Amino acid sequence: MLLSKMAAEGGGKEMNEIKTQFTTREGLYKLLSHSEYSRPNRVPFNSQGSNPVRVSFVNVNDQSGNGDRLCFNVGRELYFYIYKGVRKAADLSKPIDKRIYKGTQPTCHDFNHLTATAESVSLLVGFSAGQVQLIDPIKKETSKLFNEERLIDKSRVTCVKWVPGSESLFLVAHSSGNMYLYNVEHTCGTTAPHYQLLKQGENFAVHTCKSKSTRNPLLKWTVGEGALNEFAFSPDGKYLACVSQDGFLRVFNFDSVELHGTMKSYFGGLLCVCWSPDGKYIVTGGEDDLVTVWSFVDCRVIARGHGHKSWVSVVAFDPYTTSVEESDPMEFSGSDEDFQDLHFGRDRANSTQSRLSKRNSTDSRPVSVTYRFGSVGQDTQLCLWDLTEDILFPHQPLSRARTHTNVMNATSPPAGSGGANPGSNGNSITTPGNSVPPPLPRSNSLPHSAVSNAGSKSSVMDGAIASGVSKFATLSLHDRKERHHEKDHKRNHSMGHISSKSSDKLNLVTKTKTDPAKTLGTPLCPRMEDVPLLEPLICKKIAHERLTVLIFLEDCIVTACQEGFICTWARPGKVGLLSSQNQANSPSGTVV
Amino acid sequence: MWCPSMPCAGDATHTIHLPWRMEPTSGGTNASALEKDIGPEQFPINEHYFGLVNFGNTCYCNSVLQALYFCRPFRENVLSYKAQQKKKENLLTCLADLFHSIATQKKKVGVIPPKKFISRLRKENDLFDNYMQQDAHEFLNYLLNTIADILQEEKKQEKQNGKLKNGNMNEAEENNKQELTWVHEIFQGTLTNETRCLNCETVSSKDEDFLDLSVDVEQNTSITHCLRDFSNTETLCSEQKYYCETCCSKQEAQKRMRVKKLPMILALHLKRFKYMEQLHRYTKLSYRVVFPLELRLFNTSGDAVNLDRMYDLVAVVVHCGSGPNRGHYITIVKSHGFWLLFDDDIVEKIDAQAIEEFYGLTSDISKNSESGYILFYQSRE
Repeated sequence: MLLSKMAAEGGGKEMNEIKTQFTTREGLYKLLSHSEYSRPNRVPFNSQGSNPVRVSFVNVNDQSGNGDRLCFNVGRELYFYIYKGVRKAADLSKPIDKRIYKGTQPTCHDFNHLTATAESVSLLVGFSAGQVQLIDPIKKETSKLFNEERLIDKSRVTCVKWVPGSESLFLVAHSSGNMYLYNVEHTCGTTAPHYQLLKQGENFAVHTCKSKSTRNPLLKWTVGEGALNEFAFSPDGKYLACVSQDGFLRVFNFDSVELHGTMKSYFGGLLCVCWSPDGKYIVTGGEDDLVTVWSFVDCRVIARGHGHKSWVSVVAFDPYTTSVEESDPMEFSGSDEDFQDLHFGRDRANSTQSRLSKRNSTDSRPVSVTYRFGSVGQDTQLCLWDLTEDILFPHQPLSRARTHTNVMNATSPPAGSGGANPGSNGNSITTPGNSVPPPLPRSNSLPHSAVSNAGSKSSVMDGAIASGVSKFATLSLHDRKERHHEKDHKRNHSMGHISSKSSDKLNLVTKTKTDPAKTLGTPLCPRMEDVPLLEPLICKKIAHERLTVLIFLEDCIVTACQEGFICTWARPGKVGLLSSQNQANSPSGTVV
Repeated sequence: MWCPSMPCAGDATHTIHLPWRMEPTSGGTNASALEKDIGPEQFPINEHYFGLVNFGNTCYCNSVLQALYFCRPFRENVLSYKAQQKKKENLLTCLADLFHSIATQKKKVGVIPPKKFISRLRKENDLFDNYMQQDAHEFLNYLLNTIADILQEEKKQEKQNGKLKNGNMNEAEENNKQELTWVHEIFQGTLTNETRCLNCETVSSKDEDFLDLSVDVEQNTSITHCLRDFSNTETLCSEQKYYCETCCSKQEAQKRMRVKKLPMILALHLKRFKYMEQLHRYTKLSYRVVFPLELRLFNTSGDAVNLDRMYDLVAVVVHCGSGPNRGHYITIVKSHGFWLLFDDDIVEKIDAQAIEEFYGLTSDISKNSESGYILFYQSRE
């Protein structure tokens, strides 16, 4: 091993070679070397000790069909480019905007998808010293600065996101463990904010800002202990999943400020979190080198996955490969390109809204539900994972031979034996998805199947959540929820309705989950042998440096590493688009 | 693309910690800065943070002593050893005197010269009787084994004294059984070495005790992965065939080593110094190996007790520099919820997030790093 490393340094062949393509059951994914984005000089960034490189996308809906824009930070620099994806080679000579910061470094960013036009985009940028900037890289303007005097929080911004469906509200998480809700229309005030407790629960508290005139922050969330590493809104924007350095996943109802459920890592901090496109599952990754799949409805761990050799830095679902089979058969299609997304155009203006693609089985296997997700880590590896029916619904006899359950766990009892189900009252909660998955053909016996199809809505802003099914399954909580959505559907954050409601029911459930040291063997953190252990579909070393980005787009996968290289991996059948303009993509990808 | 990182002169390896500081500083200004940093209200009662004077390349010793001082069960046992009646001077009495002197200082912070301990160490072992840079792990190993020997010898003496008084007991049984000392109770775990003959499928297992685990390191991995790798199944074939008692012949076999009994304090030694055949010398592997503040082991055997106990990181001995015979050792410890950095006579409070500076380097080109070398994890229960 060591010898091979040495040899590699001397220009010899490295055993642990970096992959430029990989194959899954849907076909060949290929790195497009011409579609690599980086700093214009393409020099690897010496990344020791700097903030992770992150990438944000937006579609500006211009008429040319080249509406995609990407933003990334490398060290103290921030770049904004036209993203040509698999279609055309990247032109690094002309960034639309480039910024270099002094004294503070950009750590994360997010576009507002609602307001983006060809002439103007709203980009939020968080910084290592705690500030947040609102910039327009098309107009090349800096519109606003928040927490400029660092009176609100001095610690590093770990995650910044626009509140789904809002043109003015955004949420900022810090390594202090606090999270703040801002409104771009308000100022931050010239003095440190005074807070008033709004709500308190198990290891979290929410404060409002006490002042005569409305000012930022509107709310201060204190979540867990240690840094709040990442948060993610559910696809319908109603729930917020937070992962912290204390190893906890905490899922809140964002509007009512109620804790919905929690989960503890096997050990160490949780570093990343994402939602399945239908909002039924949350995946986390962390310092235990594992990915953990958590059921939103049942509030329990349903699987863990081991494939990474180090900490997992990003997890993301692939909405285009996640598939749910229609009960009535669809027309057959033999080609790989076609199965991706036959009937739904991608709505890039709102990438949080993703739809389950309907997948034709190209063979006659009875595939019904498969979620695909991916993860990248500090081990420089990309892993892809399939979440299949045998894991999701372990009551069912195994429908397929290809199971990812580890042999070591062949004797693992069916799920549910891991302990009492803390979310048994979760039946009343509609999964926070925004799409209507087709009826699941075989899930009727399952406790949450009755509500899984609910939640059909035309948009996130539309508060009308109650479909017939969910009403049918109603418990008291549901009435509450409907009420505030009527009131709150504009997200104007009049907080009156929150304080009046105690989170009685859910808090009772979570009250028992106190001591993090004694969580093992409880539903908060089942033992390894009590839940299925997934093996990755593929696990490939794809970079020299720690991977920090993984984004699934319609025709490609985007990854980025700490050296500042943003790579585009064409999906099966999408690779040929570029090669007509350029020489064939060399598999070694050496063109610099 | 995929060019390797540019080899820059002087690289990004920031050297905050000066490698050689022979001349001890007074400690005055530094010490009060630390007190201020922690704050009078936050400063833990009955806790003392004292730097140790460097007597010429003794940072390998200072760093390990500080780490052990902040392994609470170890410190408590050493201090209660001190409380026992006066004994003839040995390495343990010198250590006990040193710990006692730290623990009973009037001041909360300052500097102490571990003079008696160092001279005793140099007297007892030729290896350390010079001004050369030594390996901190070798020293840890030597120290723990020496203390265990001293305690065992004392127990034996006590027994014999008691026997003289009472004049009974089964002598044979006595002598065969090695007494377990508190050093064993704290640091000793058990590995089980299972070998499966690929011909007859017979599994034979052999248990082995350890005071610390030495694990191989790989670039861009976690300590969790290094431990998994440590227990990976290895196939013994061709020249390494295994003599199977059942088959009465050499056979191919599979071997794996797993932890059967988990110690109270898990000391993990990262094998960062590797002998390079073609260079005829040791080189440092500055690989980035991340280590979490919380740890559970995956490489346990099924019949282990307490196999999923949770460990908390309490101390890390860090090697700074490019090779085993040059460079410097420092230690970071967790005490009462905050992290401190001990660099010989200098003590600083550091942010928990600063620990990531000690994971190592992702670039294979630079060997010069400040990287975690010995990790001390303490069991939560």
